[in-house]
Amino acid sequence: MPPEGNPMAASEATLRNGHGRGRRLASWREHHGWSAAASLRRLASRPLGSLLTVAVMGLALALPLAFYLLLGNVQKLGDALGQSEAVSVFMQPGQNAQQAQLLARQLGERPEVAKVTVKTPQQGMDELARMQGFSGALLTLDDNPLPYVLQLQPRPGTSAGMIEQLATDVRAMHSVDMVQDSGNWRRRLDALLGVGNRAALVLASLLSLAALLVVGNTVRMDIAGRSEEIGVLMLLGASAAFVRRPYLYAGIWYGLFSGILATLLAVLIELVLAEPVARLSRAYDGRLQINGLPPWLLLAVPLAAAVLGWLGARLVSAWQLRKAA
Amino acid sequence: MIQFDQVSKRYEGGHEALSQLSFEVPTGEMAFVTGHSGAGKSTLLKLLGLIERPSHGVIALDGRDLGKVRRGGIPKWRRQIGMVFQDHRLLMERTVFANVELPLVICGTARAERARRVRAALEKVGLLECERQLPATLSTGEQQRVGIARAIVARPSLLIADEPTGNLDPQLALEIMGLFDEFKQIGTTVLIASHDLPLIKRMKRRVIVLDHGRLVADLSAQEVL
Repeated sequence: MPPEGNPMAASEATLRNGHGRGRRLASWREHHGWSAAASLRRLASRPLGSLLTVAVMGLALALPLAFYLLLGNVQKLGDALGQSEAVSVFMQPGQNAQQAQLLARQLGERPEVAKVTVKTPQQGMDELARMQGFSGALLTLDDNPLPYVLQLQPRPGTSAGMIEQLATDVRAMHSVDMVQDSGNWRRRLDALLGVGNRAALVLASLLSLAALLVVGNTVRMDIAGRSEEIGVLMLLGASAAFVRRPYLYAGIWYGLFSGILATLLAVLIELVLAEPVARLSRAYDGRLQINGLPPWLLLAVPLAAAVLGWLGARLVSAWQLRKAA
Repeated sequence: MIQFDQVSKRYEGGHEALSQLSFEVPTGEMAFVTGHSGAGKSTLLKLLGLIERPSHGVIALDGRDLGKVRRGGIPKWRRQIGMVFQDHRLLMERTVFANVELPLVICGTARAERARRVRAALEKVGLLECERQLPATLSTGEQQRVGIARAIVARPSLLIADEPTGNLDPQLALEIMGLFDEFKQIGTTVLIASHDLPLIKRMKRRVIVLDHGRLVADLSAQEVL
């Protein structure tokens, strides 16, 4: 038994009493706090290396974001252009205004149709007359040979497939002579966007993997540089989780900062494009609305990057510490 | 109580560091393990710290077979023993206080309790006034005393020391040994590997002598005298 008054012995009794679950939890939380702060200090202690790692990861994550932004807006552009390219329905010759109005009402009730404009034969004739070189030729006609034309404006967001189906349905109507569907270019654009979306996904996966490897390698070098400290901690009875904790936080910091950088770069791209896009929008009477990245994505990118950083650090530290044990 | 029963250790490559080693050290006893370089002293301590595993035989501490401690249980095992190294193995970026505090942080001891225990340990080794200093600002002897404070701060049941006075002058070495002797008095089993025979003789404690991994003598304190 320890002698009376021994300070070590007195402390021992208190220590035994203090080993409750609550105190362990408090100590665990304290070590998390310490690890988070210590890893941040380590990053700050070598600013150039840390900045380079964050910059490489940030650029790697910004690329798919920029691609996503571009694709989303090409889609928007396609929608805007699609709105100006109405489906033109040419009625059989001899159909009168009442029949044209009836068909316009029928077609206007279809969900994919936003608006139907009836163009009378006289309006068609007037348009032709305004075109250079036609006015003389029209004077030789005894009567107006042009039919009623209905211009169908598809609703925004209507897919190319739905517009194609609309054209097919209208073409089958007995009062309709011809349907002019300008949807071919839309289908090609949609196909291209499909390829682009898949490419963006592959690019995002590859660049995320690259970011993960960057964090992993940085943490690996960090662990290699602190092998002596790790050895001492293990000899003192530190668990793998205890030793790993500061390195996991380092991974989280790298990921978080690079995610923030990637988001800032994406916002910068939006700002750089804002002026030419506004000009493009004006050219389409303001119908072209270019969107930025949604707010949820701006929040999700840094968080996802932090998880990515943690994962990279976790994989490498587990492997490195197993080797050290 | 430490029990070695027919313990052998053969390293990869065939070198046999320990051969058929059997001895016991009762709880609270302080014993020296000595022998020339390569006799197996460090290997013996490594086996106790589960840094190495025996090739044959059984090692037990207070009846617990070390062979049954799984890989995942090694950290917990090491928390029960204190280790002192010839090269101190202090973390030079951390203060003396933080170094001594480490085993308690690892054990999950509350902050206030840690502060109390660290100061008690530093007071014990006479370095309380150095708690805010970095180890590099201390002399070799002081660094070794910090290492000892770190080894005893969690009140281990076993304290093992590998050449703890290897770099110290004779007077300082005697002081350090005196510290170990005090821990023995509070119930800690102390096992010290040393080849400093004059110092061992002055301490008048049990001596286990190894030669080429074999036990060649096991001298009681009286026999040493």
